[in-house]
Amino acid sequence: MLISTTTIIQSMLSGTLEGVNYALYSLGLAFVFGIMRIINMAHGEFVVLGGYVAYWLLVMWGVNPLLSLPLAAAFAAGTSFLSYRIFLQRIRTTPELNTLILTFGIGIFLSNLFLQMWTADLRNIGVDWMESPLKLSGIYISLEEIVTFALSFAGVLALHFFLRRTKMGKAIRITAIDRDAASLAGINVERIDLLAFSIGGLLAGLGGPLLGMLSFVSPGMGIAITIKAFILTVLAGVGSIPGLIAAGMILGVGEAMTVTFVSSSYRELFGFVLFLFILLVRPSGLFGKGFR
Amino acid sequence: MKFYRTIRSSEKLAAAVTFVVVLCLPFLLSFNPYYLSIFVSALILGSVSLAWNFLAGGCGQVSFGHAAFFGIGAYASSLLVMKLSWNPFPAMMGAAIIGVVGALIIGIPAFRLRGPYFALSILGFAEVMKLLTLNLTDLTEGSKGIFNISSLPSIHLGRMTFEFYISRTTNYYFAALLMFAIYLVIYFFRHSNTGLAMSAVRGDEETAAGIGVPVFRTKVTALIVSAFCTALMGAFYAHYVHFLHPDSAFDGYWSVMPIVGSLFGGIGTLIGPSIGALVITALDEFVFKSFFETGHKLFFGLLLAVVIVWTPVGLLGKWMRKK
Repeated sequence: MLISTTTIIQSMLSGTLEGVNYALYSLGLAFVFGIMRIINMAHGEFVVLGGYVAYWLLVMWGVNPLLSLPLAAAFAAGTSFLSYRIFLQRIRTTPELNTLILTFGIGIFLSNLFLQMWTADLRNIGVDWMESPLKLSGIYISLEEIVTFALSFAGVLALHFFLRRTKMGKAIRITAIDRDAASLAGINVERIDLLAFSIGGLLAGLGGPLLGMLSFVSPGMGIAITIKAFILTVLAGVGSIPGLIAAGMILGVGEAMTVTFVSSSYRELFGFVLFLFILLVRPSGLFGKGFR
Repeated sequence: MKFYRTIRSSEKLAAAVTFVVVLCLPFLLSFNPYYLSIFVSALILGSVSLAWNFLAGGCGQVSFGHAAFFGIGAYASSLLVMKLSWNPFPAMMGAAIIGVVGALIIGIPAFRLRGPYFALSILGFAEVMKLLTLNLTDLTEGSKGIFNISSLPSIHLGRMTFEFYISRTTNYYFAALLMFAIYLVIYFFRHSNTGLAMSAVRGDEETAAGIGVPVFRTKVTALIVSAFCTALMGAFYAHYVHFLHPDSAFDGYWSVMPIVGSLFGGIGTLIGPSIGALVITALDEFVFKSFFETGHKLFFGLLLAVVIVWTPVGLLGKWMRKK
């Protein structure tokens, strides 16, 4: 099979654009893991929740998914807030096994709730006029792809600057580095935990509508998002937020190349092989130094 | 949290009661094939739960992807029988060993790091195994599935004959036998030096390494034993249902339900997970499904969250501790 240069450029471009969206889908998990050392196994379900909020708004009132971003984020943040207050807070300091199982349980609860409420159908929430492709010298790109790319990029940068430039961001970072010192400096670390976990949910919720626009949302897909988010977190290096963009692009382009040169059925294999390779060769990831 | 330090007498009693109940259950159900088939699944799940908890309760390593080993066992045994025409009994053992190979592939990279790396890698591993099974169509028939997997050959003991093709009762008792065997394996492992090392790793990895416990090797050993037992049950499942599909053999059910069973029955006990699995299967079949037909599994999620927060030793674990 002969593969033309245009095809390769096309798939590299789509992979890059898609990869930056991966960074957004992973942001909440990477953030919560970096700050609190908790893996939120329900992360993917929070993303999907955001998607269903946008789906509902679209079906009921015809709201453009881009406009439902704030509400999707608010819903996911609220769910995340409640999960922390009701459950997670009580076992914050117990062995890791407990938080993993707890958040996994929350994820199962949510995905089955989605199944009960919205059935197992795949829901696309694309907008017609944004989906039509623009052609630039043989390469296709849709307005949708450009907009979601820009939003994802902005989301990652916004979190980065929030952590770097604001007082609250500094408090969060200090708590991640040394809890006791932060506490002595007058930071309410309990509040910071609650805040960080809710922000994690908020970030996840932002990804949902974009995911729904580009592909679809379905009740059972959360776990795959969680896996992908973890792969990106490890690839970027724990604690590196901007690194997620690079990691996302690597994964996106790698997947696109796998589809072009091998077969679309092995697309998901690329990320996993890459992940095992990173674990063996450079477990600290590309840019991992921890939060500083 | 204190997990099993010693096997208390109340626990041995619970184990004895469990196996007696398992022995008598078919009589109570008057050998109704429908109910028996539910409890054969429950016994398979109970055995997988024992294996899962050997790793989690025993060594502190939580796996979200035991479906990988279950599916590997199921497919390996079926293919050994159908393509290489092995006898199903040695094929089951062969499948369990292939399950161990799977455990090494994922355990060696993931256990080198502390933290949640293993839990998530194995989740990915289960997805990838399903993907491969779907796509390696020459070997596995892919999404068509494998039909007519032969059942276990009849066993002749003196003048008695146990046949597996039709009799639910034989399958039920064979599943019970497997569960008992796995219980014994786990019991003896827990009382060996490896078992002690596992407790140390579960308690505090750094301290364990400090006093000379080979942490990495201990974790890999625990995973090997767990994967072996899980793959063995997967193999039995294949010969019991006669039909495999990537979605059924690698179903998330086999990853999630052992966790639910173990948590419900008591992660800090030896026999608890199997009791939990039996009770939870019955609850699911007769109670939960009548509430929500499609989303009945949401109860499991809720159950996990509630148990882990309020009684991390599990409902039965709490009861056994008091005695």
